[in-house]
Amino acid sequence: MLRYFARKLFVYGLTFIVAVTVDWAIPHLMPGNPVLALMSRIQAQDPQVSQTMYHHYMRAFNLDLPLWKQYGYFWVSLAHGDLGTSIVQFPTPVSSIILHAAPYTLALLLPAILLSWYAGNKVGALAARRKVLDNSALPLSYALTATPYMWLAILLSWTLAVTWRVFPVGFAYDPTAIRTLSWTFVGNLAYHWFLPFLSLFLVAFGGWAIGMRNMIIYELESDYAHYLGALGAPQRLVRKYAFRNAVLPQVTGLALALGAILSGALVTEIVFSYPGLGFQIYNAITNQDYFVIQGIFLFIIIGVLVANFIIDIVYLIVDPRTRIGMEGGRS
Amino acid sequence: MRIRLRASAAASALAVGSLVAILVLSLAGSAGASSKSYPRSQTLITSGTQWGNIAGFNPFAGSYAAGMIGLNLETLLRYDPIKDKYINWLAKSAKWTGNKQFTIVVRPGVKWSNGKPFTTADVRFNLKLLRFGTSAWHNLYLNFKSIATKGNTVVIRFKGTPNYVQWQNALWNIPMISPLQGKVITSAQALTTYNPTNPIGTGPYKLDPTGFDPTTRVVWVNTGKWWAAKQGLEPMPKPKYIIDLVNTSNTNSLNAVLQGVEDLNNNFLPGVDKLVQQHKVLTYYKKAPYMLSANTAWLEPNTAHKPLNDPVFRRALAMALQPGLYAKQAEGNLVLPAKSTGLLPTWAKYNNKAAITKYGFKHNEAAAKKLLQKHGYTMSGGHFLNKNGSAINLSIMVPQGWSDWETARDMIIAHAAAAGIKLHAVVGSQNAWISARGTGNFDLALDNHWQISDNPWTYWNGIFHLPILTTGTGQVNFNFERYTNQKAWSLVKKLDKTPLTQTGTIKRINTQLQTILMKQLPVIPLWYNGQWAQFTSQHWTNWPAAKTSRQYTPVMWGGYLQMTGIDMIAHLKPVK
Repeated sequence: MLRYFARKLFVYGLTFIVAVTVDWAIPHLMPGNPVLALMSRIQAQDPQVSQTMYHHYMRAFNLDLPLWKQYGYFWVSLAHGDLGTSIVQFPTPVSSIILHAAPYTLALLLPAILLSWYAGNKVGALAARRKVLDNSALPLSYALTATPYMWLAILLSWTLAVTWRVFPVGFAYDPTAIRTLSWTFVGNLAYHWFLPFLSLFLVAFGGWAIGMRNMIIYELESDYAHYLGALGAPQRLVRKYAFRNAVLPQVTGLALALGAILSGALVTEIVFSYPGLGFQIYNAITNQDYFVIQGIFLFIIIGVLVANFIIDIVYLIVDPRTRIGMEGGRS
Repeated sequence: MRIRLRASAAASALAVGSLVAILVLSLAGSAGASSKSYPRSQTLITSGTQWGNIAGFNPFAGSYAAGMIGLNLETLLRYDPIKDKYINWLAKSAKWTGNKQFTIVVRPGVKWSNGKPFTTADVRFNLKLLRFGTSAWHNLYLNFKSIATKGNTVVIRFKGTPNYVQWQNALWNIPMISPLQGKVITSAQALTTYNPTNPIGTGPYKLDPTGFDPTTRVVWVNTGKWWAAKQGLEPMPKPKYIIDLVNTSNTNSLNAVLQGVEDLNNNFLPGVDKLVQQHKVLTYYKKAPYMLSANTAWLEPNTAHKPLNDPVFRRALAMALQPGLYAKQAEGNLVLPAKSTGLLPTWAKYNNKAAITKYGFKHNEAAAKKLLQKHGYTMSGGHFLNKNGSAINLSIMVPQGWSDWETARDMIIAHAAAAGIKLHAVVGSQNAWISARGTGNFDLALDNHWQISDNPWTYWNGIFHLPILTTGTGQVNFNFERYTNQKAWSLVKKLDKTPLTQTGTIKRINTQLQTILMKQLPVIPLWYNGQWAQFTSQHWTNWPAAKTSRQYTPVMWGGYLQMTGIDMIAHLKPVK
């Protein structure tokens, strides 16, 4: 068991270093200079003043150093827990931007992931044994899972927010809402949360439903199911065993799908101007705010790796074969 | 088995429910206000200034929260670009009392939002902040000999001939911050990191810190104690709250205006002319051009690149273009085409009609072709070649996503092609465009860098400034076309050092500069970008409008509230 976790941790560590390096490199290799953009907003009338300010900001962000030094400083700062300062929102620390935005993204992601996984698996399992449901839910699920997150978000926004005005177009709460710890404000948040959540939920739900439906059909056709049936076991019991076996690939699938759902959440936030990490990344990329881009992606990288690690552990719990295999290996 | 499955389902539901509850509650954030929402009938909602997160409350940074200067902080003077006159503001008077001496009389009865009086010491403190190299007005400070205070006057003595124009411009742009908060600014770096959480100002509004959300909005609350209202200079603004929302997209903005979520939007929204005709929104003018002018959009040739280094080629290119069409089609008929001088309508008095008639450019493809052929350019395959026989295929750059400019770019490419000049589009982000402009890595670019001001000097300085910086980043803010003309630069410097009372000299210099511009075309003026402003009367009326007594700048952009934007706010009336 220890060897298993040691190997996993090594792989995660390596992935972290590579991912963080790519995370650092991509913004720095983008064409353009964020400080020039910053300077263009300060219309000093004298070029010498402009130059002085330009060099001041370049030094403040270490952007006057060679790239290899900037990379080195990046790791040193990271080791000290310093994610840097936003260029656009200077002198706001990147960590405070993340702390402000992360709850919004998590409030979308966690319910969307868990509920879509749970509901998708349930509906998929039902569809596998009910013809009517199979004929209706299956095509719908295919359509949903093939829909790009952004497109569905635009569609929902256009129909439910712009045309019918049932839901708000953007933001996390009404412009005139006062942020208080009250049910009114919580309701306001939920009202603005619903459409972005629904976009994510529906697309992910389709994928899980199809996966489970196919897995259940496969399991019900396997030898153990037929054997159990021949022994006179009730169909309900056979289906339960089939479900337990079918859910294992879905757990693996959850780990694999995390990245896709996360990227879906990012673009969905942009469509709904929902001020989570995705909206912040969009703003940061638009303004070439290196440190915000790095910081948020770092947060995402860590989040995805931790989630994968948790799923690895969950897999050990839900699949006795893995556990027994490892214990056998040790003995 | 059944029990385990039910337990697991219940656990999932519980987990999900708890997570949602915890996260939603965490988003609820800071508690404190007693009511549930800002009353809409007392709240003015604006948008169109802040793209991305709100940077904060540093008035010396380029992008501070909308309203920071104008609603909260104020300036010594203000400037009315429609009437072309200065308005004494925190200064009761501000004038030259000698060739090198400027005297400011501080207005009595002005108070900071913390109740302290605004004094000459405060003015002195703020002028001394210019000593830091990161202040946009640092070059003016280098010419200060002394700043003395006596009674209610502040006397500034200059070492050499003052930059009269720049100084006058600075007087209505330098924000007066409270020394109580500003005392932390003790270095050039501190000036850039200054960011009070609850700024103290002399203006009619103060920040509502609980309402401020950098991703969404800034909320200003009427103090009800504005000195300007007490002294009868302005009516007390009626909106109890002003909420400025972060921009999301033009589509969302349009929806927000039409749904009455926003009262005033300062984005370029295509199709506004039709909405005005349908009485769905209001604009400053009831008919085209609908918007007041904000800056000159021009085609910027990189004069360091062949054949754009040839004024004859630039003239031929200009003759191929149709600014009237760009204003009508690309800009949705919301703006005016530019005169050949590019001088904004507010500077119309400086336009020299004779010079424009003689040197201005007009659309004429055939004449453009003839001009090039006369000067040794030959054609091959319908396109002109360089004089050395190589092909001409110039790139043209606009920021990606600026849809009106992208349309104009495509029209420019087509019109240039009709005159035998081959251009092609280069697609790049706004930052890539800024960077290319700064480093000179472009052939042609659409640009509008310099905003409306109190003096065309800012326009000429932006075009003719020398030296052209070739090290480091290259140009920052000035002469992106890399045009060298010592005579023009000398005239720009002379204009800056000419007292504003010498109107004859000022006019002569402006005539000389516009003649050089029209003859040489270091930039090709195309249209006057608008002070984009569309508003609705669902909640507030009495908006600025032409041919009324409310001729004010209807925008919340940085630099515009201390023009007459604050007059707009002060004259609004609630519907209910």
